[in-house]
Amino acid sequence: MVPKKKPDIQQMVQKLLTGDRRSAARLITLVENEVDEHHDIMRLVYPHTGHALIIGITGAGGAGKSSLTDHLIGKFREKDKKVGAVVVDPSSPFSGGAFLGDRIRLQNHSQDEGVYIRSLASRGNLGGLSRATYDVIRILEAMGMEVIFVETLGAGQDEIDIVQIASTCLLVLTPGMGDDIQAMKAGIMEIADIIVLNKADLDGATTCLRHLEAVLSVAQESQTSWKPRIVPTVSVASKAENLRGIDELVQTIGEHQNYLRSSREIDQAKFVRIEHELGLIFKDELQKIIFKGLRGTGKKKKYIRSIMDRKNDPYSVVDEVLNTYLFSGK
Amino acid sequence: MGSAKTAKSAKDCQVSWEDYMKAYYEKPTSFKSWSGFDLNALYTPDDRQGANYQRDIADAGQYPFTRGIHADMFRGRLWTRREVVGIGSPADTHERLKYLFECGGTGLNTIADVTYEMGLDADHPWALNEVGLTGVNITSIQDMETLTKDIPLDKVSWSLITASTAAAPTMAQYVAVAENRAYDPANLRGSIQNDPIHFRYCGFKPACPLDLSIKLGADVMEYCTRNMPKWYYTTVNMYDLREQGITAPQEVAFGFGIAMCYIDELLRRGLSIDEFAPRFTFYVSCHIDFFEEIAKIRAARRMWARLMSDKYGAKNPRSMHFRFAVHTAGCSLIPQQPLNNITRVSYQALAAVLGGVQSLHCCSYDEPICLPTEKGHLQALRTQQVLAYETGVTNVVDPLGGSYYVEALTDRIEDESLKIMKQVEAIGGMEAAIASEWLDRQFEAEAVKRQQEIDSGEKLVVGVNVFTDEQETRTPLGVQRISAKSAKDQIKQVKELKKKRNMAQLNETIKRLRDDTADGKNVVPAMVAATKAYGTTAELLGTVREVFGYPYDPMGIVESPFSR
Amino acid sequence: MKKKIKVLMTKVGLDGHDRGAKVVASLLKAAGMEVVYLGMYQTPAGIVKAAIDEDVDVIGLSYLSGEHLVFTPKIVSEMKANGLDDVLLIAGGTFPVEDIPKMEAMGIDKIFRAGSLMPTIVSYIEENVKKH
Repeated sequence: MVPKKKPDIQQMVQKLLTGDRRSAARLITLVENEVDEHHDIMRLVYPHTGHALIIGITGAGGAGKSSLTDHLIGKFREKDKKVGAVVVDPSSPFSGGAFLGDRIRLQNHSQDEGVYIRSLASRGNLGGLSRATYDVIRILEAMGMEVIFVETLGAGQDEIDIVQIASTCLLVLTPGMGDDIQAMKAGIMEIADIIVLNKADLDGATTCLRHLEAVLSVAQESQTSWKPRIVPTVSVASKAENLRGIDELVQTIGEHQNYLRSSREIDQAKFVRIEHELGLIFKDELQKIIFKGLRGTGKKKKYIRSIMDRKNDPYSVVDEVLNTYLFSGK
Repeated sequence: MGSAKTAKSAKDCQVSWEDYMKAYYEKPTSFKSWSGFDLNALYTPDDRQGANYQRDIADAGQYPFTRGIHADMFRGRLWTRREVVGIGSPADTHERLKYLFECGGTGLNTIADVTYEMGLDADHPWALNEVGLTGVNITSIQDMETLTKDIPLDKVSWSLITASTAAAPTMAQYVAVAENRAYDPANLRGSIQNDPIHFRYCGFKPACPLDLSIKLGADVMEYCTRNMPKWYYTTVNMYDLREQGITAPQEVAFGFGIAMCYIDELLRRGLSIDEFAPRFTFYVSCHIDFFEEIAKIRAARRMWARLMSDKYGAKNPRSMHFRFAVHTAGCSLIPQQPLNNITRVSYQALAAVLGGVQSLHCCSYDEPICLPTEKGHLQALRTQQVLAYETGVTNVVDPLGGSYYVEALTDRIEDESLKIMKQVEAIGGMEAAIASEWLDRQFEAEAVKRQQEIDSGEKLVVGVNVFTDEQETRTPLGVQRISAKSAKDQIKQVKELKKKRNMAQLNETIKRLRDDTADGKNVVPAMVAATKAYGTTAELLGTVREVFGYPYDPMGIVESPFSR
Repeated sequence: MKKKIKVLMTKVGLDGHDRGAKVVASLLKAAGMEVVYLGMYQTPAGIVKAAIDEDVDVIGLSYLSGEHLVFTPKIVSEMKANGLDDVLLIAGGTFPVEDIPKMEAMGIDKIFRAGSLMPTIVSYIEENVKKH
């Protein structure tokens, strides 16, 4: 077994900043795998981020997210923007493996040097996004991507993550969903800045549209003054002339971005996002420290057993551990 | 149980007497059929309670034709011994065709290569590396002339295997050549596969969009119905579906579902069921579970008869005949210990014959390795001949009829297939099942299951998970290679043809083809005319594709050379 | 965190027989690997570009129609030109046993013809992945 060379992070990030794809690819892998150098990498990358337009696309499987992403990439390329796409697919809860099949629908851009597509597996993250997604996007930003799409399978209730990552969130629905829309809590739809009703050429599309409008109108007061827009689209058609709504969608994204800028809510949104991310990183790091401290002592097992036997409870355990390991300065 | 001992030769063999005793007393590990049916140890008349011979079985040649579509079956005529041929250039294929004919083949059978099925001319950039590797590419009438040279088209039965939308140009090319040689198309005998719908599932989606598949498929069917009374205009391909890993009942259910898409379209066009149904045929697999395949065929015959009479109101008994050709299951053959494939194919051919097949192709033993070598092809033909002349299976019609097991299994498969067909109906019919990708998901799930069954040892395959001796380092009887020169020559010819032909004449015919397509007319006559003017496969198909709003070239590279 | 093995599964050229590639991809996923499925009609350049951007550990090629001797050298040279020496290259499908040494000489690390068992493929990859 050849001993692994320690990756030269400084050099890799230098190359990354020149737009080098190989470095981007490798850095993304390192960050995905949460190697020891993870924090060092992000420390070097972070100053070069914050400027890209990040668009989230979420929705159930089969709704047509990838085909929409495909079209949107094309539209932004027409405006000469460098475009990145991070497509997330769920990892199997049983095997931990994943089938990452979205690239097939993004074939049109496979030879375009101005497009970088990366498939990620969710790796157990219930939100449909992996922990690494934040950082992967930053790496793409530092590489020079000006528009970055994040596509994820929203299984239903947990798309919260995408709101934290993207400044404009698209939720993709299709007319076939029928009863699901009734059952869907209005809260989910409020998360989306734009609701894309894809496959709008199917029977029942008009009824569905009215349903959506009705649900939105009785939704709780949103905290912002942007009312979610509905854009009907047809993203998959064997004949180009049957595609619909893509230009409108691009326009609506532009309008949302303008709104954010003009209302200065973009700052507020950024504040909340960073606050949320800090929380996540703190949580992660603290967990790591605590469990590292407990490793080899046998205490973790003892604690868990005692909780199982109802001799102790989780809160008391946490208080005790924190007092021992954090606050006493050990 | 066979162990993975590496027995190099008789000399250094070491027998374990423990293992020997185990093997001597060995029991099968499963009593399920290949498709998963639990099987009793013994079947008796009790398993056939409520059975009604006249209603459910009847004699051969009598509705519902469970026992055979003809009263005398092979006593009246042996099945057609029709080995599939498709190898390199049209000239190479012609040579192999004649060879097999001389060795006793009784039907001609040619198959398109991947490039032809995609609707690409031999000079297409993507065709460059792959022309002639899996069959023959017919780009122009010249190629079809070479393929059919010196063969009396009114005397032979020719089966053209082009499955995709390219079947329409194929039919046009065959008719054009026949007419140029002063044959009346009404005297031509043979068949064309012409089943673009199923071909989406064989890796040809760009060439077979659903609407175009139905349009062109039905155009060929309608044209043949009106002009070629001796021609079978489709062999709905259940075989290739089965190759994906699905079960016997699924093969029947999905095959029938696709057949109904075409029937419904023909009825929509105003043809009456009895007008066209007598020329409807199927392409069926014969897999390795001997009795299951026979029962499957018998069930299919009964189901088809009932479907045609009950659902479609057919009156002519010939409309109710489940008429079929068999291709022994390629997916059951393996490259390891390849001579074992001869044995597998023999059992499968036997099942086909006991099932009552009309035309049979036996895979050559090198099917999972390369295109058939001459020797391999001959061996496959001899398999059929031994079967026909030596085994006595042709003496009696439906010899397994009345077997308690076979009749029970026939019923079982019918029940299961009907259940699946109801499922498809509940989704909204076959077109909906295809459009929603429900069918794709069935194929994907079954394929994974089959591999898992082999990985776990639930299904045993000699050479794969039992008796896996050392691998051969040579393919017995050699490897068929396609000469690069053949391909280069064909491509050169195509390029020269495109330079030399009369473009003004061709333009006229292409314009007519375009207009006919736009007007919703049957496009085959226009394709025949364009073919005679040296229009090529890609040009004919591309013109029709454009009218339907698809890119001229399925690979999206080549532009139409014709102005609109 | 245990490193996941990332595999790129692809067909090459015009051949569309993808059932085998799909089954292998599904079962590699079941073995815990992350499989980027590229699908049909791929060129050597396209395959290598995707392999770079996805930073895969393994490229899996699926062949059927006899084009393996034509495409393999192109893919291998494209990999070399882009410095993908640490990517495992495996191939499966339909070809004569005589071609196995030829393909290995061209640069394929291991060949799994039809009739191979998945556990064999999985353990081969796990034991031979170069990047980890």
